[in-house]
Amino acid sequence: MSDIVIDICKLGKRYSLSHHHRPDSLKAWLRSLVHLGATTPADHSTEEEFWALQDVSLQVRQGECLALIGKNGSGKSTLLKILSRIIPPTSGQVRVRGRVASLLEVGTGFHPELTGRENIFLNGAMLGCPEHEIRRRFDAIVDFSGVERFLDTPVKHYSSGMYVRLAYSVAAHVDADMLIIDEVLAVGDAEFQKKCISHLALALASGKSAIVVSHSMPIIKALSNHVAWLREGRLFEVGSIDSDILQRYAA
Amino acid sequence: MSKNPAPELIIDGSPATWQGYWRELHAFREVARMLIRRDLIVRFRQTYFGLAWLLFKPLMLMAVMSFAFGFLAGFEKNHAAPYPLIIFCGVIPWYFFSNAVPDSMNSLVGHLHIIQKTYFPRAIIPMAAVAVDAIEFAIAWLLFGLGCLWFGYLPGWQIVFFPLFCLQLLVLCTAIGLWLSVVNVRFRDISNLVPFLLTIGFFVTPAGYTSMRIPEQWQMLYALNPLVGIIEGLRWSLLNGMDGFPQVPVVLSLATTLAIGLIAVRHFLAAEVDLVDLA
Repeated sequence: MSDIVIDICKLGKRYSLSHHHRPDSLKAWLRSLVHLGATTPADHSTEEEFWALQDVSLQVRQGECLALIGKNGSGKSTLLKILSRIIPPTSGQVRVRGRVASLLEVGTGFHPELTGRENIFLNGAMLGCPEHEIRRRFDAIVDFSGVERFLDTPVKHYSSGMYVRLAYSVAAHVDADMLIIDEVLAVGDAEFQKKCISHLALALASGKSAIVVSHSMPIIKALSNHVAWLREGRLFEVGSIDSDILQRYAA
Repeated sequence: MSKNPAPELIIDGSPATWQGYWRELHAFREVARMLIRRDLIVRFRQTYFGLAWLLFKPLMLMAVMSFAFGFLAGFEKNHAAPYPLIIFCGVIPWYFFSNAVPDSMNSLVGHLHIIQKTYFPRAIIPMAAVAVDAIEFAIAWLLFGLGCLWFGYLPGWQIVFFPLFCLQLLVLCTAIGLWLSVVNVRFRDISNLVPFLLTIGFFVTPAGYTSMRIPEQWQMLYALNPLVGIIEGLRWSLLNGMDGFPQVPVVLSLATTLAIGLIAVRHFLAAEVDLVDLA
């Protein structure tokens, strides 16, 4: 029981689709204040609700990797955003033990005017890694990225490949207990991808946990123990990687 | 940071408590440091004079204001302290305020791409924006020291209160900045409104003149502007007591600063939760 690092309980996320009733500008808001008395309950009933996630319960144990699969719009990214504390859930709750590092995008916070070296520290801090820890791993990060020659060049001059390699390297070396990864493994060339996957596999073997979203079956097979299949915001099926869930999903 | 047994975090969409939020700010203080460093680097990279701009700007400002208000408007008479120093004590805080408020107001909108992709307490972003301007503000006071040497002027014992007035100004700017930054995410209208309000604010703030110029019957109303108490307090602390301790403005200003601070923090914590959904 105690080795559960993420406990997702009946999680739901609702969006309102009616933009007419939500004040999007100060003008609309002022107008809604003026007309406050005039609004009838019927006005609100036209509001259309959309549940991006509904009643999702999942657990991840230490050392485990959970893969989320599902079509575009099935709620995978919404779930990751809630787990990363970027958006709040409408209902339910998540209990998290340990430090979480979210990689919803590579190079979050990278500033084009800053050099590679400066961006390593900035990005590391945003991922929750203090400067002295980054300093300790600095060589490993640079080594992994393979951009040491351009470390003191502003990243605006980097090729897109160099950019993502450096960005991913920082994230990969942040000392978190739990990694949340959205499609970012599909960065760089095949060689770099292989390097990322074996690095992540090593982290999992050392007792870290992960939740990954990927559309790549080979990546999922290489990393995950469990698969959760989301469909229209609901948990459709959960199973071990060895079950036939992937085959049925692909079918 | 990582090895002690990890505390459990519960994500349920409820706003943070004040204590909880404070702990989070402390845990992510590194981000603030990095953002401040980034802004300073970016601000002065590819400039010829670099950091010297930190001294040029207040110097030019003081020269222009002393000329405009002291010489042109003829406000220079009847003061014990040199007029440029009096002006300096008003213009420098105003300059800080009028930069820090829009900078922090626009900071969250300007960092939406980051906010949408990673979590750290959002208050760090507007606070870092204020801090960058506060560094300029702090450096500007070095010029005041030079000015004192130039005019052969020595501040009195009241100078011990100088840091307190600076601190109050910092709190005020941070509070207004926090508040406007979340409002701006929702209603971009205010980024058009605020520069206009600041233009008016300049004239109802004793930056280029002293509040002695305000008719007696308007003094109370005038002092509701929290900057009045702060600026007159700064003048009192640095210029040998000036025209006596500005009791009413200082008390009123403390009260308004406190009220704005409480409202701002409350509103920020409530608005922060679904900030990204509303952006």
